[in-house]
Amino acid sequence: MKPVERFIEVIENKDFAALGALFTQDGHYCDYCPNGTAQHEYHLYGKEAISMFFRNKFLFCQYSIMESAILNDHQAEFIASFGGYNIMAIATLQQISEDGHIRRLTVRPK
Amino acid sequence: MGVYAITGGSSGIGAKTVELLKSQGHEVVNIDLRKCDVEADLSNPEGCQKAVDELHRLHPEGLDGLICCAGVSGACGNLKLIVSLNFFGTIALVKGTFDLLKKKGGTCVVTTSNTISHGAARMDIADLLNNNNDDEQRILNLVSNMDGTNLSVGNSIYVSTKYAVARWMRRHSASYAANGVRINTVAPGNVNTAMTATMSANAKMALNALPIPTKYGKETLMDPEEIASAITFLVSREARGVNGIIMFVDGGTDALLNTEKVY
Repeated sequence: MKPVERFIEVIENKDFAALGALFTQDGHYCDYCPNGTAQHEYHLYGKEAISMFFRNKFLFCQYSIMESAILNDHQAEFIASFGGYNIMAIATLQQISEDGHIRRLTVRPK
Repeated sequence: MGVYAITGGSSGIGAKTVELLKSQGHEVVNIDLRKCDVEADLSNPEGCQKAVDELHRLHPEGLDGLICCAGVSGACGNLKLIVSLNFFGTIALVKGTFDLLKKKGGTCVVTTSNTISHGAARMDIADLLNNNNDDEQRILNLVSNMDGTNLSVGNSIYVSTKYAVARWMRRHSASYAANGVRINTVAPGNVNTAMTATMSANAKMALNALPIPTKYGKETLMDPEEIASAITFLVSREARGVNGIIMFVDGGTDALLNTEKVY
């Protein structure tokens, strides 16, 4: 399975531990979509922080995705729900390590 | 060595703070419901006045510090108690001892919660507490009519009181400091206490979803001593330049969930 497919799978399954494990030790998860809600954008550095952060978001139903579609080897789009506020988003794997872990992933409004 | 008064010093963070201050050679007056130096129920005006009067009787020369730890959680099931103790009891003690603190150039630390940054507060209640606190009874009547059996309501009221306490401190900090009294707030994360040790599996799952980065992988909560250490720092001379801050002592939970909130 390609990294972008795996990324969508773990987000859909709300598997915060597996999500963190997709990233390099200092991997960067950057989501600009929350700017369209009442929240700040997400800037998470490090796989442990990414895992802890989404553990919180998933359990308290503050983040989920639906209607996902893989666009190419590096991009997928989906509807992201921020506590019920829906935004059409596009995720891009900007940098991948040699062993297939994500160094930098950005999510932007489509 | 100094003389410090503390509310809620018989258990949890308060008890550990008493222990630390005494180990540093300070005298501590513990105000609580039981196992204390001054027995007073700080959830009503009469109890607050009793505590204030007793502190004036015991230490007319003044206090070096007041530390407010007394409070109840959102799960206590009594919304009126949450508001009366966590907010009104806290500010009554600070206001009532201001003259004692001023005499010795003392300092004050009030305890809030790191949940104030999670967006769960009922801001209408927080605004009433901060802007209309002369109408104490009407505010208490209002919350008494809410559903105290609903845990999410209890939590939102709890967070509202803690938000209001922190904002009250911010609003008064400049004036207090100009009169020689520093005032700050500590915002603890979830702490290991007798209450958290016996909570339900669902409640523990919710607690663990507020991850504590310094406890990563350990599924454990903050130790009361970690909070008490921050409190004793804030009341110490080493913190003489610190006034009006909300110090999050939560192992980094707030930073994790709110990376973009620099100020």
